[in-house]
Amino acid sequence: MSLAGKLLTGIFILCFPLSVFAWDWQTRVTVIVKDQPIEKVCGLLEKEYGIHFSYSRELVNLSRKITLTARSQRLKKVLEEVFAPDDIRFTRVGEQIVLLPDQRTTRTISGYIKDAISGESLIGATIYSPALKQGTTTNQYGFFSLTTVKDSNSLVITYIGYEPHIQPIRQKGDQLLNVALQPVGSLKEVVISAKEQIKLQEQTQMSRVKLSATDLQAMPQLLGEVDVMRTLQSMPGVSGGMEGAGGLYVRGGSPDQNLVLMDGTPIFNFSHFFGVYSLVNANVVKTTDLYKGAFPARFGGRLSSVVDIAMKEGDMNSYHGDVSLGLIAAKFNVEGPIVKNKTSFVVSARRSYPDLILNAALRAENEMGSGGNFRAYFYDINAKVNHIFSAKDRIFLSFYKGEDQLLLKQTPIDSTNSNDPAKFNTESSKFQLGWGNTIAALRWNHIYGPRLFSNVTLSFSQYAFFTQYEQKAVIAASGELSDVYGRYKSLMENSGGRIDFDFRPDPRHSIRFGAITTLHYFKPGSSSFRDKASPVKPLDTLATAMRVTGAELSAYAEDDWQLRPDLYVNIGVHASAFMVQHRFYHSIQPRLGLRYMLARNWALKAAYTHMNQYIHLLSSNGTTLPTDIWVPSTQRVAPMFSKQVTLGVAKTSLNGKYECSLEGYFKSMHNMIESKENNTINQFQPRWDENVTIGKGWSYGAEVMLQKRKGTTTGWLGYTLSWSTRRFPGVNNDEIYPYKYDHRHDIELVLMQRLGKHWDFSASWHYNSGTPITLPVSSYSGIGGASPWDPGSGNTSIDRYNNWNNYRGADVHRLDIGFTHTKQKKHWSRSWNFSIFNVYNRRNPFFYTIDEDAAEKKRYLTQVTILPILPSITYAIKF
Amino acid sequence: MRRQYFFVGTVLLVMLLNACTKRVEIQMPYEGDKIVLNTLIQPDSVIYVRVTRSIPSNMLDDSGYKDIPGSAVIITANGVTLPAPQVQVIKGLSYFVSTEKAVRGQQYTVQVQAPGLTAVTATDTLPAAPLAKNASAQRNSNRVLFTLKDDPAPGNYYRIRIYITNENGGQGTYLLFGLDPAFNNNLVDFFTKSSYNSLVMNDERFNGKDVNFVLQTVDPIPGPSQVTVEVSVLTRATYDYFRTMTAQKENGNMAVRNPVRVYTNVTNGYGIVGGINTQKLTFKVE
Repeated sequence: MSLAGKLLTGIFILCFPLSVFAWDWQTRVTVIVKDQPIEKVCGLLEKEYGIHFSYSRELVNLSRKITLTARSQRLKKVLEEVFAPDDIRFTRVGEQIVLLPDQRTTRTISGYIKDAISGESLIGATIYSPALKQGTTTNQYGFFSLTTVKDSNSLVITYIGYEPHIQPIRQKGDQLLNVALQPVGSLKEVVISAKEQIKLQEQTQMSRVKLSATDLQAMPQLLGEVDVMRTLQSMPGVSGGMEGAGGLYVRGGSPDQNLVLMDGTPIFNFSHFFGVYSLVNANVVKTTDLYKGAFPARFGGRLSSVVDIAMKEGDMNSYHGDVSLGLIAAKFNVEGPIVKNKTSFVVSARRSYPDLILNAALRAENEMGSGGNFRAYFYDINAKVNHIFSAKDRIFLSFYKGEDQLLLKQTPIDSTNSNDPAKFNTESSKFQLGWGNTIAALRWNHIYGPRLFSNVTLSFSQYAFFTQYEQKAVIAASGELSDVYGRYKSLMENSGGRIDFDFRPDPRHSIRFGAITTLHYFKPGSSSFRDKASPVKPLDTLATAMRVTGAELSAYAEDDWQLRPDLYVNIGVHASAFMVQHRFYHSIQPRLGLRYMLARNWALKAAYTHMNQYIHLLSSNGTTLPTDIWVPSTQRVAPMFSKQVTLGVAKTSLNGKYECSLEGYFKSMHNMIESKENNTINQFQPRWDENVTIGKGWSYGAEVMLQKRKGTTTGWLGYTLSWSTRRFPGVNNDEIYPYKYDHRHDIELVLMQRLGKHWDFSASWHYNSGTPITLPVSSYSGIGGASPWDPGSGNTSIDRYNNWNNYRGADVHRLDIGFTHTKQKKHWSRSWNFSIFNVYNRRNPFFYTIDEDAAEKKRYLTQVTILPILPSITYAIKF
Repeated sequence: MRRQYFFVGTVLLVMLLNACTKRVEIQMPYEGDKIVLNTLIQPDSVIYVRVTRSIPSNMLDDSGYKDIPGSAVIITANGVTLPAPQVQVIKGLSYFVSTEKAVRGQQYTVQVQAPGLTAVTATDTLPAAPLAKNASAQRNSNRVLFTLKDDPAPGNYYRIRIYITNENGGQGTYLLFGLDPAFNNNLVDFFTKSSYNSLVMNDERFNGKDVNFVLQTVDPIPGPSQVTVEVSVLTRATYDYFRTMTAQKENGNMAVRNPVRVYTNVTNGYGIVGGINTQKLTFKVE
């Protein structure tokens, strides 16, 4: 065609209305709408291009609002974009397009993801369909369920530390998969890495810290032990209390407000050695999740945090183990198949041993007399068996027992009075102290169908404390005997069951629901004291101390729901009831989480949660000790509850290397207890509640976490700015005062560096601003009697105290480092770990005392430090 | 073997005992100078009032605190002002001593004024005498026994102390003692074998009963000697004062614990005006 002909044709076409032309799927159309119903798009196409739509409003819903910018695009492509999300099928019938609901049924791909070598299930692995841009993650049992309305040829399954796996799937129908991932770098021992790959902006959950076994093992050690609680202390929002102790103070809450779960079973006292070590051997910990806020509805019963520890399940294919010897404790861990790919076990044990050496030394020197003995140790044993009955049924049986024991038995050693027949001479004495936990759990995983998974748990948890003392003494001159004996026991038990369901009806909903029942048994104080040589009958004893049984029932439901492509909500409720001593308490605790996607892949998150706690911890003078006992709410002391609101932004970089999160929170806590001023809580009296005052607490602050998760250098920088205050009637003139672990600034810097093939280096630097203490505001003279002529000097001095926590102690900072050298042999590997705690020997305050200088007539503050530079070495063998 | 012990000892020393201390010079907060008014009023005895001045808590005064020059003390009984008390120096300290004996049934108010300081005042009544008897002890024994008959009305408060008068008639200091473990029924006291030279208690556990007390002295009673068991009935104010003062002492000097505030009924100042009624059971140990 000549140029003139083309021009004429063009003019001709332009002069005619477009509608007179017939259309086809390749017709290019332009449609630009903003936030308009689909119906409007159909109207535009009809008006501009003469494309008629035919549909039934009962079958096809065109009310969804969309935003669409299509410039000169093919008609078919535009229609696909508009109708596909609503599963609307379109076909051409004559000159009109008929709209019908898509007849294809949804399909669900579900199953377990596990380690190819050990068979250990992988928690938090990502299952993703690149074609559909849909994905999910495995739950705490390694189970996933992905329901989709579209066809997909394959799924990509990824997990840090493992080779990505492409799983082809059938074109039609539901499918149950069991996928095994190969660990990367299998020259090193098999490491169960729990680092999830799901990006921060893709999860609605906030205020959660996930600690993998590899993170845990890489941390610098204190006296040859890595520790779960100590590692959690190096996260923003978590404070450790006194220097060296393993307490957890999460977002201004106290340690009794932490729910510590070991394989789903609550634990009462999570420490050995007066808080220095955690209860559990870190070698058998698979993952640890710490929830500081935004609590999912499935958790309840404590105000401030949930520490959810999952233990290893045991290798299904081959035998493995490790043995290690540190400065304080020796431990071993063995796992392997009982029936290959069906049943596996894991057993681990640990015992501290310095007392064995010290006892031998004391005996050799005859320091404790002929029948003397000394023991001071802790031990723990973990055992777990898991059995796969079928692709749909799996059972776990786990047992834990851990104890701390102290025994000192002496025969004549009281050298001070041994030559004085007019004074008491000890003939024998025996002191025993012990406490420990016993935990047992039976869990059954069952898959009802591709979309419904369940776990049933039956659990038992017991904490017992025991002490006794006996002493025989005689005054030789008078023959007077003293034969005293005393003992004290306390016991707390939880037994219960829970059922949890995980239901994934479609990709936009992830629903969990379940019920929990717990029977609490409290026997806080049972004691007897007697002096066999005394002529007096005791007035009474506490042998008939209270025994209380309480029943707690809870039900919960939560839905992780995609409301819009850029808006997600986690909506849930936890309802609970507590029955004790003919009283009934109940609560409805809403849990709400929101996530809104911002530009550049940042997620804006918010959460609001209520938590309830029906049991209280009685501590002497605010210090956490093994003697602390749990008691239920009483007529006077109602259950505690807290409300927390959290707001933050989070992002993981595209390559998954870097994570960044910023969160602000405000938490109010109600019905907390504090000993009345000038009273200590008497833990051994049934009417303990008369000695306490009931008050409130508030904590608020902001936390920043920058983390590098991949590469030879990993680690994180955390910063917390926080305030935590309390108000109790009758304390501090009824005014608000700072909580005793109110640290204004807290910085954590953790670095882990791989150095070549054999060496790993780790360093951790911690800083927190000073801890509040109370100092007197004046001193004055006291009086002891009515008459100055009576004996005694009369020069009593009294300190006047005004506001609580009116002074800040020195700032605390410390650098810990560790080097690990690992060498792989043919069938086993050995490693040496060299750690230095407090590298630059910073004298951090453990506590302060007020002392006197008689010469200068002054009183001053003495700072006591207990943890100077402490090097340690650990040798470990793995096979 | 010796070398092994040395090694073990060194390790343990480094690990557990390497606590070190550092003196921290700080400016402790100070509430300002206040009048300290102290008197415990015993029926049928003259009233001894001690007036001193408070000091900042980083200063140490172990000589009984300084008197306030120019201070004036007014004592009233049931609103009637008593003759002005006279200043006496007893054992090196100044006291304002009333010219009349205190009488049970009266309510006593003490006011103190001093130049440059806010005037203070405090009031209390006097309690009934205790009903204690049968005090005894054996030579070289560490048990001192006596019987106490408690008033059936609830809310009676007591203090018990023991002292030995030596042969030449001089008075010694108060003895350290503890309660029989069967009576004491306190876990911490039992295990720590706590002893004190003053036992302050209420009648919660023996209200209205005749109670046999066994006090276990830390050192056996020497003989021959004269032992005095001092049993005092306290008013609520005096009881709160003694109880909190004891609690503050027991709390020790660790600044990390919850502070114990010592009770005071003195308005605008510190100290106590409290009623006390002491009975002394004196006996000889041969």
